[in-house]
Amino acid sequence: MMSIPIIAQAKIYASVEQAQKILFPKKQLSKSPILITDDLQERMRQASSIRHPFQGDRIWKTADGAWLIVDEVVGKHEMITYAVGMSSNGSILGIEILEYVESYGYEVAEEQWRKQFIGKSATDPIKLNQDIQNISGATLSCKHLTDGVKRVTVLFEAALKAK
Amino acid sequence: MKTRCQALLGTFVEISVDQDEHLSAIAKAFATIKLVQDLMSFHNPLSELNAINQRSHLSPITIHPWTAQILHIAHEIYAQSSGLFNCGIGHRLVAAGLLPQHLDLAQYQFGGIEDIKFITPKLMTSSKPICLDLGGIAKGFAVDQAVEVLRLNGVESGCVNAGGDLRVFGSSPRPVHIRNPKSLGQLIEIGSIQNGAIATSSLYFSKRDRKHSHIINPLAKSDSDIHADFSESFSIVANQCVYADALTKVFALSKNDEHPCFNHFSAQAIRIAA
Repeated sequence: MMSIPIIAQAKIYASVEQAQKILFPKKQLSKSPILITDDLQERMRQASSIRHPFQGDRIWKTADGAWLIVDEVVGKHEMITYAVGMSSNGSILGIEILEYVESYGYEVAEEQWRKQFIGKSATDPIKLNQDIQNISGATLSCKHLTDGVKRVTVLFEAALKAK
Repeated sequence: MKTRCQALLGTFVEISVDQDEHLSAIAKAFATIKLVQDLMSFHNPLSELNAINQRSHLSPITIHPWTAQILHIAHEIYAQSSGLFNCGIGHRLVAAGLLPQHLDLAQYQFGGIEDIKFITPKLMTSSKPICLDLGGIAKGFAVDQAVEVLRLNGVESGCVNAGGDLRVFGSSPRPVHIRNPKSLGQLIEIGSIQNGAIATSSLYFSKRDRKHSHIINPLAKSDSDIHADFSESFSIVANQCVYADALTKVFALSKNDEHPCFNHFSAQAIRIAA
């Protein structure tokens, strides 16, 4: 059987460390993972309509109670990893896109689609066009990202606020 | 080279500079784009654009110099395109469910950009109720403002790309690709741009997401002509992104790559067949 070629573009804009420096310049952050219960997972899903589970191990805290949360959203054709900076009262200080991956010609279930890319870097053998920088085209919507930020605010209300 | 990306103007905005030491300039450029968004967003009920839509036909309203500037540019393109570009089509997009409803559409007979008058450089009024949407021009305008801020902060060369409307500035040319409307994962290299802008209009994402066409024909005579339907893509290369962005609509509606207004704005048209 012939395999269908994956046509993909990947852009890596910032590492988590770089996002920390952008969102919290000159501040020390300490890793502060949260155990995400099934109940919380479900509340986040309902608020955002994002199905894939949130991973609670990419959360950091500053000494003055602000938060940095890294999450990703997966659409049918794109996956976006992003970082959200939140103050101790839950207001959003900034959102930075860390990675953008796009793939077409590949109709697969969301979970499988995602698995192709988890832990991948630009040096992995998957065909990722990293050199293509400037693409003109119809506007890509950032709606999925907006949904992602919704679930992060639910996480704050339910689990981070009280800490 | 350093590139950062944020979600702004409903899309992904990339700012790329050639020297790594200009990080604070990038932050200022993103803040500039955020200001354009805050002023001109149709989605945000508290934006200046929505104040214009709600009140400018009732009493004169003082607006930010950038809003005044974009309205002047929009009017200039309206006049040069014989009405084919008109920002006064917001109610069409609301009726199609593409924009949120802030006004009761049934109560009004809307005019267009031609009904706006400036009393002083920052004080404007409208002779009819209007429902402006700057979605066809504000991304390009924001890109130009961001480029200006980068330059003022010492950045010599770089690129700002707002979801496909982009401008390259400085001495280094950059290769530019256009998405192939036939196959979205494929890209067509069209050459390099130095000190110039390009924008593209197409309906492939609307069609993929099963939405109404967002390209509205302001001169439509019947309801069936309101939403333009096509499968190819229409790109415009111009000196400034605001013109590239707005003129793609003139190109998509006229399908004429030699429309007289392109020459007027020193723009070039590129159609990619699907």
